[in-house]
Amino acid sequence: MATIHNEIDNWLAADLHGELSEDERGELHAHLVECAACRKTHQETKTMNKILEETLAQQKPDPAFEQRMLTGFRNRIPEKGGLIKSLFDLMRFRAVQVTAVVAVLFALMQLGRTFTRETATTPRTRDRYADKQLFEPPSQVAATLEPGRAGALDKSDELAAGKPKDLALAPPQSSSETRSKVARDFKAYPATVAPVETPQAEMAAKETGSETGAMNDVAEASSAETPAPELANRKLIRNANIELEIISFGDAVQKITAFANEERGYIATTNSEKQANGKLRGQVVVKVLPENLDRFLQKLRGLGELKNQTLGTEDVTKAYFDTDARLKNAHVMEQRLIDMLKTKTGKVSDLLQVEKELGRVREEIEKMQGELKYWDSQVQFATVTILLAEKDMEEPAAFLLKERAQLSLYAPDVEKIYNDIKALASPKVQITNAQLNRDYSGRISATMSMLIVPEESDAVIGRVKGLGRVENFQMQTQRIAQGGSGMSENAKTKRDKVELNITVSREEQEQALQQTSLRIRTASVDTKAKELQALAAKQSGRVRSSTFSRDPDGREVAGVSLRVPMKNYPALMQSLNALGKVENVSVQRQDRTGAQSDEANAPADISIQVYSQGNIVSHETGLLATLRRTVAQSAGAIMWSLRMIGVAVAFLAPWVVALVIVIWLVKRVARERQ
Amino acid sequence: MDASEREQYRAAIHGDRDAFEMIIRTHSRTLFAIAYGILQSREEAEDVVQDSLVKAWKTRGRVRDPEKFPAWLATVTRHGAHDVFRKRRTVSLLKETVEASESQPPDTSGIDQQLHSALATLPELHRAALTLRYFEEMDYRTIENTLGLTNGALRGILGRALAEMRKQLRPALASMD
Repeated sequence: MATIHNEIDNWLAADLHGELSEDERGELHAHLVECAACRKTHQETKTMNKILEETLAQQKPDPAFEQRMLTGFRNRIPEKGGLIKSLFDLMRFRAVQVTAVVAVLFALMQLGRTFTRETATTPRTRDRYADKQLFEPPSQVAATLEPGRAGALDKSDELAAGKPKDLALAPPQSSSETRSKVARDFKAYPATVAPVETPQAEMAAKETGSETGAMNDVAEASSAETPAPELANRKLIRNANIELEIISFGDAVQKITAFANEERGYIATTNSEKQANGKLRGQVVVKVLPENLDRFLQKLRGLGELKNQTLGTEDVTKAYFDTDARLKNAHVMEQRLIDMLKTKTGKVSDLLQVEKELGRVREEIEKMQGELKYWDSQVQFATVTILLAEKDMEEPAAFLLKERAQLSLYAPDVEKIYNDIKALASPKVQITNAQLNRDYSGRISATMSMLIVPEESDAVIGRVKGLGRVENFQMQTQRIAQGGSGMSENAKTKRDKVELNITVSREEQEQALQQTSLRIRTASVDTKAKELQALAAKQSGRVRSSTFSRDPDGREVAGVSLRVPMKNYPALMQSLNALGKVENVSVQRQDRTGAQSDEANAPADISIQVYSQGNIVSHETGLLATLRRTVAQSAGAIMWSLRMIGVAVAFLAPWVVALVIVIWLVKRVARERQ
Repeated sequence: MDASEREQYRAAIHGDRDAFEMIIRTHSRTLFAIAYGILQSREEAEDVVQDSLVKAWKTRGRVRDPEKFPAWLATVTRHGAHDVFRKRRTVSLLKETVEASESQPPDTSGIDQQLHSALATLPELHRAALTLRYFEEMDYRTIENTLGLTNGALRGILGRALAEMRKQLRPALASMD
């Protein structure tokens, strides 16, 4: 009871809230009957409870409260799109979650594998592979022998073929177990019937006889990815190429011989070649002990300037031991065949076959022995190939002066000159090319080439020049170095034959040096033109063309085109004044560069127009004519203005139409508004 | 908590909107009661509930145990309400210093007014328990679950809360009688 009194607050609250059990309520009521204080408290608490209920009931949220919350939530967190939502929905399922996790793990595993380049089954396959390597070769060997003849081998054949199969069929064991088993089985075979492919296993084959314990180790090594290199057993062929520039070839060879002796080597071959400029170039091959190679090369560098050096090492270990193993097999074969011959069972033909086979095997043995010997020699000594070249290898031996002349000529008669030049041919003047061209318009030209000995060249060229008018002459000299490039003090200079190229053209085709045009007014055109031609002939000029015409007004015009040598030009111009009044003189001169042109003889063209004044009175005068012209002009003016009006109308019409439409629309709108 | 409820909470945690909206329907009144208990303002309480729901949706991944989801919701709401309460107090303190010289605090003669001021003096937990009880008429067990209380603790809390109220309102009660 005491507890109720002490904790009356709790009890009363629980009672009012209906949280008292039946018994508890009984106890409380019993206490209230006894205790006045608690009764009072009970009363107060009841009132309190009522007030609370009434007051707080007002503060309760209204019925739409949940809906408001929901709407607010939806507004603030918009629903996601279809795909993502369905994905989310899917991810709710436990099975999907598990699957996803598994998939991710698997993907990670695969990723890891690709990085490490390892496959899950690696260890097992590697062991199998080792088995194959070790046990397939015996059956291969057996296969090379034809079954009928190799009766003695049949048994071991079976052994070889059978056992590995058993092994392969055996359930996969732990790798170390398998390996040791492999090793054991391997030992059981006669070492000689087990030629093998890999270098690691070759070692095994070599060592089987000597050590038994080593077997396991070797098998171990064969399964490992990288075997420890056994340098002592390696067969390395070392060789070096070195290129040197030296002062004297002979000295260099001597020194090389000395060096080779010091390093316990020898000169294998030496050869040399003399160049045109007297320099030597050659090659020396030296054999030295491999361990001394580096020192030897170091010494060589002192001989001259090092141009190039390569150092190579070839590892023939694998090939060497391959051959070695094959050789041993062949020896065994040989022995067996000999045994077969000794026992002499079987037919004669069989024996013959065996004999033949024996021959083949022996031949093979010799070949392989030779090969091994060669390798031994190569391995025993390193080969150094020294390329020697003396300094200034490129210096020229001699110079050649080559002269080339180009000559252009103008002549009145091309054909004659062509023949004249051809007549120059002699042992000292060789005509290499002569060509006479005439085109459809009658133009003629000749091109010729000749080679002249140096002494004669000046005389011949002078002679050819005299044959016509020189338009152009060019001489080109070239110095050609022989047997090298660059400068040389001692080299001789030789003159080569002079090459002369000639082109001959007709004078008419030549362009005039000076062109003059003028007009002469005179009363009698025809006579004056004739006089003019006579004048020209006097000054050794030639009339190239002449024209004559008379126009309706009675005006006469004669055109004369002349060509005279420049030296006669001033005299001709002087004499023209006698013919009439000279007008409109215009002179155009084409100055030629180059001193070679012969100006006095160069042609000058003069075109002269001789004309008369014509009738003073025109047919087109008089009243009628004037009237006719006036009417025609006014009609033309009217037509022109009409055309202009048409253009203006065409240009303005669209604007006018548009303006009218706009005005009409505006008016209509205004009216409707009213 | 029955299995379907549990499943509902689990789905909501894993992002099922429908499940979460169902929870809003069933629990927002409770949350309101809690917020109101702290803030004693309907508008503010409603805002707090709204914010808390949004926040709960965004951080739902933090709940490991679906059974604790309702309690966690209540906690989020309570924290939200506290934040608002703190801000309000600093603001009202400022206001009071300004207004103190001008006017006397409003007359607290009305029973409602007195009740609210009495409520304000109660510890926050007591207030929350009271509002849950009188708003939702929840049984003690549910209130305990919602507020994360141990079994039987609520009886003492509510007893003390009522007693405290009674003492504070004794003059008013006497006048009513």
